[in-house]
Amino acid sequence: MERAHTIPHRRLDPTAAVVRSAVRAMMPGSSTLPGCGELELDAFVRRLLHEASWPMWLATTASSLAFVLTPPLTVYLPLPSFLLPASLLDRHADRMSGHALYPVRQAAMMVKTVMGMHWGAHPRVREALALPPYPEDPGTWRTH
Amino acid sequence: MSHHAFREPGDPLELEVDWIVVGSGAGGASAAVALARGGARVAVVEAGAWRDPEHYPSSAYGGARDLMPAFGGLATAGRAQWPVVQGEAVGGTTVINSAICVRTPGDVFVRWAAEHGVGGGPMAERIGAIQDALEVELHASRATGRAVGRSDVLALRGAAALGYDSHPTRRFVEDCAGSGQCLQGCRAGRKQSLNLNFIPETLERGGVVLSCAPVARIVLEGNRAAGVRGRFRHPRTRRAGASFQVRARHGVFVAASAIQSPLLLRRSGIRNRSLGRQFHAHPGTGLFGWYDDPVDMHIGATQGWSSLAHRDTGGFKLESLSIPLELVAGRLKGGGAVLAERLEDFRHLAMWVMAVKAESVGSIHPGPLGPLVRYTLDRADMVKMRTAAVLLAQTHFAAGARWVIPGIHGLPYKIDADALHTIEDAPLDPRAWVAVLSHLFGGCPMGADPARSVCDGEGRVHGHQGLWIADASQIPTNLGVNPQHTIMALARLRAETALSRATP
Repeated sequence: MERAHTIPHRRLDPTAAVVRSAVRAMMPGSSTLPGCGELELDAFVRRLLHEASWPMWLATTASSLAFVLTPPLTVYLPLPSFLLPASLLDRHADRMSGHALYPVRQAAMMVKTVMGMHWGAHPRVREALALPPYPEDPGTWRTH
Repeated sequence: MSHHAFREPGDPLELEVDWIVVGSGAGGASAAVALARGGARVAVVEAGAWRDPEHYPSSAYGGARDLMPAFGGLATAGRAQWPVVQGEAVGGTTVINSAICVRTPGDVFVRWAAEHGVGGGPMAERIGAIQDALEVELHASRATGRAVGRSDVLALRGAAALGYDSHPTRRFVEDCAGSGQCLQGCRAGRKQSLNLNFIPETLERGGVVLSCAPVARIVLEGNRAAGVRGRFRHPRTRRAGASFQVRARHGVFVAASAIQSPLLLRRSGIRNRSLGRQFHAHPGTGLFGWYDDPVDMHIGATQGWSSLAHRDTGGFKLESLSIPLELVAGRLKGGGAVLAERLEDFRHLAMWVMAVKAESVGSIHPGPLGPLVRYTLDRADMVKMRTAAVLLAQTHFAAGARWVIPGIHGLPYKIDADALHTIEDAPLDPRAWVAVLSHLFGGCPMGADPARSVCDGEGRVHGHQGLWIADASQIPTNLGVNPQHTIMALARLRAETALSRATP
């Protein structure tokens, strides 16, 4: 039986920064639920980008990049999403999810899927929703 | 017992057996155990890793990473991009499905006979007898007790109020723990996924299992299938390992899935115009009902309720689906603070889904990032999907839902019973719907005419010796019911036929 391994850490990782920025904006939290930014998001994103298959990696990064670059289509400002003030960033996340253009909606859906995989499995979120915590995914298999 | 998992480069594996089975899902495992019971030495060669319940993940992330091909990233390349759900592990998709047990409807055999010149009454009779045996071996039973969650109870109530037949789902599960974790593998070990029974039995009967072993090619000697070869692949890093080559004295069964089997045959040099064609599926989507009291749909079986009442007249099947919290965000409209607020309602949501008996036909091709699944639902099938959505909404309201959340682009986030007409008028553009493709068929369709099919009515690939198809890829039409039972029975039938034909 093999065990999961450590994820390498790079100090500067623009891809991870883009994904993190999109995921955090998609789930800022509410009065009763923590947002993604409060939930060890950096470690999750690094793990995802390290473990994902090539198509999944591409879909994740492309969708996150689309999130960063599409404020002109949603809040009509020629700025990347990370330069938007909080209220506009929130509006961008919401409008992107229901945008008339299918590729834009699909990108938002992908970001939400990635966000959900982190947020929905986090013990703090599960506790807040009275769900049982997940044991750690062993990541193991039969070796003989 | 002989199981070979990932091997480092420089440690090649060579074997000779009577039969090789490529793939270990519903078809592969059923064929393998039938061959082994017949006294043959069998090698099962599986691309995924062998994970037992103690290895199963709990989270959706772990499920995608450990139990699905390409991290669950396969989607249709059509008008809409819909995820294609498949498992990749010893046990195949049976590890991540709900093990729903539905016998092959009689009309399926009639249709196969009429349209493809195979099947008919004799096949129906033999499949029926095999399904009798499978139901005993795999403990088929209706969900009861803790397996029937509140979402299922509400669905039963709603269907009864509307006057259509529905029931707790019949599944291959022994004493369900009701943990709502079928899709990530049943850690309680109650679901009878085939890595827990048929594969171990194959080993006990002298078989061999190669896991982490994607087959690169079937080795052909003239027109005879003589073996398979490939390289082990590390299940975590996906780096290539040692080479393997398995020789078969009698033949090769291909059961790598409706997606992978046609691609494997194609890259093995088999030329047939029908390869990758006649691809069918059960596309489906769900509607959430919002209830005043918590539903807690994670309690109970993942799919504890189902109805076949509309299969023949409406072209769809209805089921409950306990969708994990991680996947709910993608199904709810909105983002940012709006989405966060909506997710607060999770405990009050019940999701019920439809599986459309779609007549739309797609195709499978090799693509730059993996398999390319060309598939678009046509208008007639979209009408079925919309009709099913209306019925699901009505069922929710009849069960006491305050609102329904349709998740259809262009419609309000939630509607009450007075606004049901908005779903009736929902757009028929597939891009407006968030759906998935499960239950995949075809790609190596069976048929009497070699010009229109890949294998014959016994599963033998046209023009080749010792090469059989034993998975859903041979099924030339949609079934309109959950296919695991049909796939297993067909595979066993193929294996028994092959044994009876093999020269000692």
